[in-house]
Amino acid sequence: MEPIIRVTDVTRRYRLGKQNYVDALRGASLSVAPGEMVAIMGPSGSGKSTLMHIAGCLDRPDAGEVWLVGRRVDTLKGRELARLRGREVGFIFQGFNLVPTMTALENVALAAEYAGASRKTAAMRAQALLENVGLADRLRHVPSELSGGQQQRVAIARALVNEPAIVMGDEPTGDLDTATSNEIVGIMRDINRDRGTTFVIVTHNPEVAAACDRTVQMRDGVVDGQLLTAG
Amino acid sequence: MRTLRSIFRRKLRATLTIFGITIGVLALVVMGSIAEKLSLLVDGGTEYYADKVIVSGSTGMGGFSTEPISTDLIADIEDVDGVARAAGSVMMLLETDPSAVSMGVAANIQATDFREEGFETFESEIVEGRALERDDRGVAVVGADLVSRLDAEVGGTIDVRGEEFEVIGILGKTLTAPDMAVQIPLADAQRLLVADLPSAIAESVEPATLITSIAVYLDADADPDEMAEVIAHQVPDITAMGPAGFEASVKEPLKIFNQIIYAIAVVSLLVGGLSVVNTMTMSVAERTREVGVRKAIGATDGAIMRQFIAESAVMGLIGGLVGLGLGALIAAGGNQAGAASATELFLVTPRLAIGSVAFALVLGVLSGLYPAWHAARLNPVQALRYE
Repeated sequence: MEPIIRVTDVTRRYRLGKQNYVDALRGASLSVAPGEMVAIMGPSGSGKSTLMHIAGCLDRPDAGEVWLVGRRVDTLKGRELARLRGREVGFIFQGFNLVPTMTALENVALAAEYAGASRKTAAMRAQALLENVGLADRLRHVPSELSGGQQQRVAIARALVNEPAIVMGDEPTGDLDTATSNEIVGIMRDINRDRGTTFVIVTHNPEVAAACDRTVQMRDGVVDGQLLTAG
Repeated sequence: MRTLRSIFRRKLRATLTIFGITIGVLALVVMGSIAEKLSLLVDGGTEYYADKVIVSGSTGMGGFSTEPISTDLIADIEDVDGVARAAGSVMMLLETDPSAVSMGVAANIQATDFREEGFETFESEIVEGRALERDDRGVAVVGADLVSRLDAEVGGTIDVRGEEFEVIGILGKTLTAPDMAVQIPLADAQRLLVADLPSAIAESVEPATLITSIAVYLDADADPDEMAEVIAHQVPDITAMGPAGFEASVKEPLKIFNQIIYAIAVVSLLVGGLSVVNTMTMSVAERTREVGVRKAIGATDGAIMRQFIAESAVMGLIGGLVGLGLGALIAAGGNQAGAASATELFLVTPRLAIGSVAFALVLGVLSGLYPAWHAARLNPVQALRYE
């Protein structure tokens, strides 16, 4: 089957100063099938997040090709990249990263509005998704009134509001305790199964990786191993 | 609503910033309303002087002279080619010792010989009672701004230079010179004028021959400024002023005064604008991560830019509206306080109100441009990593 994400020999160098730079990616390649749930693991600085950012259209590679949902994206300009990112990719972050002045409902609706939905449609879709992740009674709460697990569920709803083909998680359980972490992984797993959404999750947590279909191991800016989860 | 919540996330800072704009707009409204008042006053003058020549004594400055001249001049001037009619009038200050320095026009007494009837187009409306008539004696028509100061009511009496005059009419507000005038019959004014002269001279003159200025109405095709020169040339010992003379002696100095007033207000508003730039720049720096998130969930650079510009625009707008409200309040309070002495100093015109709020809004938008552009350009990955 045609992969939904295909990253080939991608390099990315970050300049820190005039003479100082970091090679975050040194020719990394990754292929993800539609509906797959993939974990990316590796030590700090191995390039996991950079790979995820590039695959998710947040960043562009210095060299190499990136294909997403059948389209080459590494050559796209900022505006098109933002559009594609808004429609095809949902992001979940470690620090939840909700807009603090907005309610749960508004946070989720915002992503839909950025993708061009009217305020009303966006709010309706947001409400349905929040009800899906069990937050029907927290629609009008701002992030500071929600627990970590609840905030991350809002973030998941936000990632799904434009019905993207792919959801990228950057250590989505990093700030959560074990029980809540399992709960969040469970929700992602359910979405993956029910909607066929592809998940790419950067994580340090072996339990999270174990819940995925496949684990990609990174080291020094390249993918240096893969592990299919039994089951 | 979202914009408001974003702004007031830092309550103290947002309030202080808005307060900065408020003070600027307040200054603009209060000082601007003084300028507006003076401008209207002068516009009235411009209208009055537009089609005629004012002749007064050789030391005088056009229509503002109180130096006595002879009524014989009326006939001399009417002999000049191009003159349709000359009308004599007396103008003198209402108070013999004008103790209060007044902005604009001082309270004055005006009287005319009615020869201008049918020629004068500038009319003051009588809102109560009736206008003066040719044979009236000992009566007065009071200008709008002097009503409360003189405690005037139709049927009552007022004190004019120590003499009692019966009030027969009240003038409507014109926002220009007639508001500060008491109109009395010419004969009465001439008597008061003579009483003002040194006694040696006073005994030797006939009051009925004295006036202080002559309004010269011209044939339809005559140019008033050229005619002023012609009259000054043909009639000795007088000054003649056309519309250009009024412009030069009154309008130009006022223009400079207004420019200074507006410049001060605009400078104070610009200071307020800089504080918006500062606040927005800080706000963008603090919310770098938020910008990263918004971009990650699909915000274009344009959407980020619009968001921050909207915030600074709203700050400008709130500051502008509050400043206008306070300014209007101060102007109203100032006018109320000054009403007793007939010194209405402020006039908040619609164009001033709309102009100052619009200026604050534009200033808000401009102040937000750079911070917003800076926010929109942030690299999403770096913004997300920002702690």
